[in-house]
Amino acid sequence: MTAPKQRPVLPFPSKDTAVEPASEGMDLVARSQAGDVQAFEAIYRQHAGRLYTLACRMAGSPEDGEDLLQEIFLQAYRKLGSFKGDSTLGTWLYRLALNHCLDYVRSRHAKMSKLTDTLDTEVSHQPTARRDTPIARLDLERALERLPDGCREAFVLHDVEGFDHKEVGQLLGIAEGTSKSQVFKARAKLRALLR
Amino acid sequence: MHPDDLVINDYADDRLAPAERADVERHLAGCAACRALVDDVREIRRVAGSLDGREPPVRVWTRIERAIQLEAAARAADGGARGVQLKLAAARLTSSRSIWIGLAAAAVLVLATAVGLRLLPRAARPGGTTSPPAAAMSSDAAQIEAELRQAEAHYEKAIQGLEQIANAEKGALDPQTAATLQKNLSVIDQAISESRAALRAEPTSEPAQQSLIDSFKTKMGLLQDTVALINDMRRGNEAGAARIVSGLKPKG
Repeated sequence: MTAPKQRPVLPFPSKDTAVEPASEGMDLVARSQAGDVQAFEAIYRQHAGRLYTLACRMAGSPEDGEDLLQEIFLQAYRKLGSFKGDSTLGTWLYRLALNHCLDYVRSRHAKMSKLTDTLDTEVSHQPTARRDTPIARLDLERALERLPDGCREAFVLHDVEGFDHKEVGQLLGIAEGTSKSQVFKARAKLRALLR
Repeated sequence: MHPDDLVINDYADDRLAPAERADVERHLAGCAACRALVDDVREIRRVAGSLDGREPPVRVWTRIERAIQLEAAARAADGGARGVQLKLAAARLTSSRSIWIGLAAAAVLVLATAVGLRLLPRAARPGGTTSPPAAAMSSDAAQIEAELRQAEAHYEKAIQGLEQIANAEKGALDPQTAATLQKNLSVIDQAISESRAALRAEPTSEPAQQSLIDSFKTKMGLLQDTVALINDMRRGNEAGAARIVSGLKPKG
């Protein structure tokens, strides 16, 4: 029997510059732990948008993102006692959410690896003509949902969330070089999809 | 010869050492295709870093709140601290919870099936340029049909459970809301019937398969909202009930 794989300490994306005092949320956390559901709702209202966005992009669909968000906040509620204020509440929730999303995509990879391997060969990486118009954000969001598992998560973590390749490798349990090639593959596919 | 894609991407990300960077720049000076690739990669990265956030649907908080209350009630019942009345209430809530857990399990299975339905046809037609062998197509079609039947069974089971709750408790709803819900359910049932008819005529039709799954999902979502609304009205949670009612626009 092999020992369970040790989960690395999750970094926080370097591009996230939100200024939030470490004591932020301690009062809401304490009230939530005492059974005040309105206090927990206040935490939810403050952080749900950011975590829902992350979950939708990591999972590749709003429906899956909705399920993940529900599970993330239920898990957060159960684990509130472990929040000691060492980081901001937002950082603590983000790490918890990211862990949950990563567990979800890993479990889905195990089921879908055969299919995504096939899809991975679909897009040519050959240079083509330049786009005439700037990329619309909404178009990129839609195209993200069409990326195969694997390269989508690496792209979201690197290009959207701002992790570097070493961090993406740690998070996804892959080599740094694999993270690079997955991100580049995702960009090539997005480029083709956005033409 | 074009530089390797990894090198081009590293260049676009400003990750190359000066000597390598100079090599790439010499190539770019004479290669419009690679310049276009660098520009596009940088544009994709720029837009990806500035994507808008999303707001979750109202029903997510309603479900979380209910699950928290159910857990608290179940804990209280286990400890036996609040007397017979609370134990009875908790038992009723716990019984609802087991239904929700069952639904969650069904939803996961359905999700896996729906993902399979979405991916299989794409995998069977790489690039749309070549035709896969007939035997492979037939095998894929049989697998999709089997998955569809499995998904249908899960949805029907989940919907049946929700309908039982909603029908038993619908007296808690005001007549206008109940009428809107009933009308919406009728429209969805009609869509389910039409999708089934289309599938009988053409069992491998991907749009008909997707339409049937989408209709099941819509019906399940509406019934979940109905049960959440009944719970909120019973608890006197007017704000929660109002949020759910505001999402119940008449269909059809």
